[in-house]
Amino acid sequence: MMAVGVVLAHGSAAAAEPKLLPNERAFAFSARGVDERTVEARFVIADGYYLYRDRIKFTVEPGTLGTPSLPPGKVKEDQFFGKVETYRNQVVVKLPLEAAAPGSAVTVSADSQGCADLGVCYPPQIQKVTLTLPAVGGRPGMAVEAAPAKKPLFN
Amino acid sequence: MSSNRWMGAGLIAAGVLALVAGLLWRQLEADKRSALLDGTTLLALALPDVQGKDQPIGQWKGKVLVVNFWATWCEPCREEMPRFMSLQEELGANGLQFVGIAVDQPDKVLRFANEIHLNYPALIGGYGAIELSKTLGNQFGALPFTVVVDRAGGVVLTQLGPINEAKLRSIIGQLI
Repeated sequence: MMAVGVVLAHGSAAAAEPKLLPNERAFAFSARGVDERTVEARFVIADGYYLYRDRIKFTVEPGTLGTPSLPPGKVKEDQFFGKVETYRNQVVVKLPLEAAAPGSAVTVSADSQGCADLGVCYPPQIQKVTLTLPAVGGRPGMAVEAAPAKKPLFN
Repeated sequence: MSSNRWMGAGLIAAGVLALVAGLLWRQLEADKRSALLDGTTLLALALPDVQGKDQPIGQWKGKVLVVNFWATWCEPCREEMPRFMSLQEELGANGLQFVGIAVDQPDKVLRFANEIHLNYPALIGGYGAIELSKTLGNQFGALPFTVVVDRAGGVVLTQLGPINEAKLRSIIGQLI
């Protein structure tokens, strides 16, 4: 496994920063209203990065979600967790909304956790998108991208 | 004449810009260094172990301390831990101390520690540990992140991503 190598030893602080993307850019979340009770959620995953299938969770506010069906990922045997599935490139999930009001605004939150092939894993993150559902029989909405995360306290 | 004057003004502006950029750069470098060299915050912390008992990091002051931020959900973290265990086994008597800070839940940490017969303390940092690691230079809060603290309590190395064993040995060798 290759080390990323941000090494700052003995005050020689000029070492190269690792070529890593911020969490929200490595795993860019967006969503759009497909019809009055369906949201299409999408993660665009940067090259060299992957998401864990079983770490992806969605919630919607207001309202409740039916059980979304996540596509099968690439299966890998993990020594500690057993069989795990991962996604690369992108993953698209249809979210069935229950008791949603057509034409209204909903906020979709996506929990995810992924890693980079360079040998690092990112902490779990929550990304949020607020979108307007189409009216009954209306046209699908445009995809809305999650806003970049707030600047962390220490950075 | 006027083009000369413009050129002169341009040169002065370029000079001022270069000076400002240089000063900013120096300030940035100084900030980075001071953040890296000061292990006070880390050593002043106490975190619970897997039994829930608070363990002050300061109890290992005076040793060569290798603090490794990890999690069970981080495969590259789990992969490098057996190498840390070998070093602990080999050099523990010479004053080397590994301490793992897990960005994780105690039950998972305990299960994994038992599974690999972890021979150094595993403290539970939770997600707060991510913020702590950011104060030590871990820009994206990613794991594994490893910090080497010398006997005087100064941070001499931080590394994001798996650490090369030869490099770690060499640094430890200089400090022990």
